[in-house]
Amino acid sequence: MKKIFLFIGLILPVLGSAQLDRSVRPQPGNAPNINIKDSEVFTTANGITVILSENHKLPKVSFDIFTGSDPRIEGNKAGLSDMAGELILSGTANRSKDQLDNEKDYIGASLGASSTSISMSCLTKHMDKGLELMSDVLLNANFPQSEFDRIKKQNESGLMAAKSDPSAMARNAEVKVNFPNHPFGGVMTEATLGNITRADVESYYRSTFTPKGSYLVIVGDITKEKATEVVNKYFGSWKGGEAYINAAGDGNFNKGNRVIFVKKPGAVQSVVYISFPMKIRTGDNDQLALTVLNGILGGGGFGTRLMQNLREDKAYTYGCYSSTNITENGSWMSMGGNFRNDVTDSAITQMLYELDRITTSLVEDDELSLTKSSMAGSFARSLERPSTVARFAFNIIKNDLPKDYYQTYLKRLEAITKDDILDMSQKYFTAKNCNIVVVGNEEILEKLKVFDADGKIEILDAFGDPAKEMAKADITADQLIEKYILATTNSKSMKEVAKKMKKIKSYSETTELSMAQVPFPLKSTNVWMAPNKEGSKLEGQGMVFQKSYFDGEKGAMTSMQTGKKEMTAEEIAAKKKASGLIPEMNYKTSGMNYELMGIEEQNGVKMYVLKLNDGETETFEYYSTADFMKMKTYSISENDGETVETVVTYSNYKDVNGIKFAHAKNISMGEVGFTGKVTSIEVNGKVDYESFK
Amino acid sequence: MRKIILSGLFIVGALTANSQRKIEFVEYDLPNGIHVILHQERSTPIVAVSVLYHVGSKNENTERTGFAHFFEHLLFEGSANIGRGEYSELVEKNGGMLNANTSQDRTYYYEILPSNQLELGLWLESERMLHAKVDNTGIETQRSVVKEEKRQRVDNQPYGSFFTEMFARLFTVHPYNWAPIGSMEHLDAAQEEDYVNFYKTFYVPANATLSIAGDLDIEQTKKWIDKYFASMPKGQAITLFRDFENLSDADFTARYGVDKSKFDAKDFMKSKSPEAKKLIASLSAKPIDIPRPAKDTEKLTSVKKDVIYDNIQLPAIFMGYKFPPQTNEDSYALDFMNEVLSGGSSSRINKTIVEKKQMATFAFSFNYGLEDAGVGIFAAIASAGNSLDDIQKEFDEQIDLMKKELITQEEFEKIRNKIENDFISSNSSVAGIAENLANNHVYYGTANRVNTELDKYMKVTREDIQRVAQKYLTQDARVILHYLPKEENK
Repeated sequence: MKKIFLFIGLILPVLGSAQLDRSVRPQPGNAPNINIKDSEVFTTANGITVILSENHKLPKVSFDIFTGSDPRIEGNKAGLSDMAGELILSGTANRSKDQLDNEKDYIGASLGASSTSISMSCLTKHMDKGLELMSDVLLNANFPQSEFDRIKKQNESGLMAAKSDPSAMARNAEVKVNFPNHPFGGVMTEATLGNITRADVESYYRSTFTPKGSYLVIVGDITKEKATEVVNKYFGSWKGGEAYINAAGDGNFNKGNRVIFVKKPGAVQSVVYISFPMKIRTGDNDQLALTVLNGILGGGGFGTRLMQNLREDKAYTYGCYSSTNITENGSWMSMGGNFRNDVTDSAITQMLYELDRITTSLVEDDELSLTKSSMAGSFARSLERPSTVARFAFNIIKNDLPKDYYQTYLKRLEAITKDDILDMSQKYFTAKNCNIVVVGNEEILEKLKVFDADGKIEILDAFGDPAKEMAKADITADQLIEKYILATTNSKSMKEVAKKMKKIKSYSETTELSMAQVPFPLKSTNVWMAPNKEGSKLEGQGMVFQKSYFDGEKGAMTSMQTGKKEMTAEEIAAKKKASGLIPEMNYKTSGMNYELMGIEEQNGVKMYVLKLNDGETETFEYYSTADFMKMKTYSISENDGETVETVVTYSNYKDVNGIKFAHAKNISMGEVGFTGKVTSIEVNGKVDYESFK
Repeated sequence: MRKIILSGLFIVGALTANSQRKIEFVEYDLPNGIHVILHQERSTPIVAVSVLYHVGSKNENTERTGFAHFFEHLLFEGSANIGRGEYSELVEKNGGMLNANTSQDRTYYYEILPSNQLELGLWLESERMLHAKVDNTGIETQRSVVKEEKRQRVDNQPYGSFFTEMFARLFTVHPYNWAPIGSMEHLDAAQEEDYVNFYKTFYVPANATLSIAGDLDIEQTKKWIDKYFASMPKGQAITLFRDFENLSDADFTARYGVDKSKFDAKDFMKSKSPEAKKLIASLSAKPIDIPRPAKDTEKLTSVKKDVIYDNIQLPAIFMGYKFPPQTNEDSYALDFMNEVLSGGSSSRINKTIVEKKQMATFAFSFNYGLEDAGVGIFAAIASAGNSLDDIQKEFDEQIDLMKKELITQEEFEKIRNKIENDFISSNSSVAGIAENLANNHVYYGTANRVNTELDKYMKVTREDIQRVAQKYLTQDARVILHYLPKEENK
């Protein structure tokens, strides 16, 4: 007894003294290894490399086919591969698109495609049905003309929107200057889209999606035996030629900094991207340290150097970021953001300063450890998705990486030192051979010259092609307006115009607007009643999204979201400067400010550019130099602190009551694009004006 | 201590459902009442740490609605050992993410961390449970955040008030009467006493379920749980401890009749003085009374019809039926029925009311299952020129059809596939598993329902669906709300 008590007495203090100091924060354990099971790899008779990553956690399975073909230089058909990717699921020789959708839904499967891949995932028990659909698509995709036309139209609106999207413009310029004569440097334009035919898409598909050199990544609840069986059953009869192989270069390395400017009339902010290519490919030993380096410089969050300097300290911007893009076909570094006009040059100075600083001195311990932990965390969380595991297995095989490349990721990450970071920045980064792309207002151009090594700034257009300089106009603004009025009214003199216009008491026009993001068409109605009443309405699906009226003295706009808003005194004043059925007739007397800027060439068409300012909004109108008809308007307005750009293009002019009206109007607002077809125009008909109020 | 844990250990037996894989887990109670559930899933080096407090808006005082949700916001403010704003920073800089949510029935907090940071997650949650700290700045900040949230989710949302309006009419007795977002006036009126009492009553070990899933070592995790959670005072002793930390010497003595100096600040529960020992022992033995509302027994006996004017352009109709609590066996058939009516674009309501007849721009139904009652809602936003009465007729026809005829075999199969797929996908992340385990333990009394729930759905027959339609879609007892545009919006 006594002995036992003694024993307990000895042991108790040990147990009991584990008194807890709750103010002590736990330390992390060792960085965990990752249990990514080795994948099985085997090759099929027709040349597919199958990568099987068994994971029986859930009764689900996914199949991803990746082509072994390299990206192409698409030249005057730039955008072909993207279009093909969008069309792969649009039907097969055996199933229409609707059938494909229905059969897929019935088994709760998902089916996807891109320009270089096709994927399917479903519950294991529906695998056969899912594979039947996938293999039907892979072997028998038939690209119906109607779907081709639909997707082409969708891309047209996309391009329309891209022309007023400064970030898209900057991206276009960036890839073109970093990667000339390289697959990355291809940018779809209206011209290249126009060159793409259904036959091109089909031939792209047949030559790219060939079993030879392709990869099939299978992840999930399936054994090797079963996988072998289904691969043979569903993909065994897949035939094709050799994969397209093209070793892409590393890009264009400058000597000295280069400034590339894309004009964006009226912009209040500039988009700046500073970039350069890097000689590194996926899986390189340097990749991880280079990614950490980017994380410290500006890879994300508020704590990065770029954010701290340009946002927190100087308030030049809401956000400034950097990215290192490392791919199998070429790599580049890019950093930038949106900056107010007057600080654009200072922002460039600061970014170059940060680039220089990180290439000349060691980073701090704190910033290194913060970046490493947040990378470790997001890496770890990303692993939960089976798609991540699939990507890893695929990368290992495709890029010939060590088998444990991802297993050791966290340990390798942990081992990265400040010296490693400096090595990386000195090896790959430079503040001296950058492409500085600026999309913005021409007024800041002069201030950018100091950044260019030879002081000569290159001007590109929205798609990264050399911009045509504006030529001097051969007529005056007033002459242009008069010529337009005569042309549009089919008149020989202004007297004749006045006579014709007197007979018009009312006008109403209905336009059908279609838009990629909205499945149903919208209807837009515009009316005018002499002498100066106007109304417009936008509706669809039985709902009136927006309506407005102006009766010459007052007006209002009613929107579904915000309700009814009366026009302000300023808006009324501005409206009065451009009212009337042909507002141009009143420019001279209404107090409208206007100036003829010159002649600009776009897509081979020469246009007069007329700049208008009604005191509220700056608008640019483009008139054909051939027949003086209005081709487009471009305006920038401010709404709740955000600038909204609107581009309207006019074409298909037809006579109605002796006056030419455009019957096709494409509208793009911000990132939204509408294709408009005028369905009816009525002159001197009855107008239900009250319905616009 | 160790022995109790070992004997309390309970490993769940095998029960396999359909093609679903079994989720293995370990569960046990700590002496202070915390229910622990551990699920090991080592394929990804992450771990989800969650605590479910069995308190929601239904536990609120009628003068302080919205309090449970507000409290959720406040409990990110810090603790005795965590400074203001530091809570989320600690998680983020250690590679994790965190969030929380509040329903009528519960408040749920979670972190997803790299697995080598599991101990940090446990410490963070133990700090929140033992001695969360909120100062006035924190209260003011979170009050405006919550108000923003309400503006964004309810007030500025067309038809956003339908939930509140519907529940107010379906439940006139039970606290489901109000929505978790509650009343902003009530939040404004809250006093310090309210905060203290709410924390004291509901944020206690016996009301908490600690559910952890992911890349963890079961034994090591238990040791850490012992360290941070088992060491927390039991019963009313936790209030004593919190008062010891927060009250002045005089207030403490006045309340307990024992001086603060008698307690050991470093190892409170092992305070040596006899007075302290006695008080700790007696309070530990007294459980904290957690008030819960009586189950909902109110019967809807008539059709309650009302018109609500809102900032909208298109009229809308919302119809509400009373369904049984989520734990009722009929819930499975009701969910099935809802999928037939409204699951996806090929469902009956969408096909008829939206696509074929084009009477509504959107039309759908959904089931809202809760601990004490359930609700079935039918909703449609009219397309121009269609009256709400006509839409209601159409809904009623669909309901009649559901009652009169069995659903087709094809519909039946499709919904079975869909339910199975949805269900399996819901257990694809460790965060999802931790939450499902905790919910099942708290609401159904068995965490193992994660392994048996799908079976219940698969047992539903076409006849069951018809039967529940007849039983619960009571046309003479329901709430019908018409939403109409306010005058100035016309």
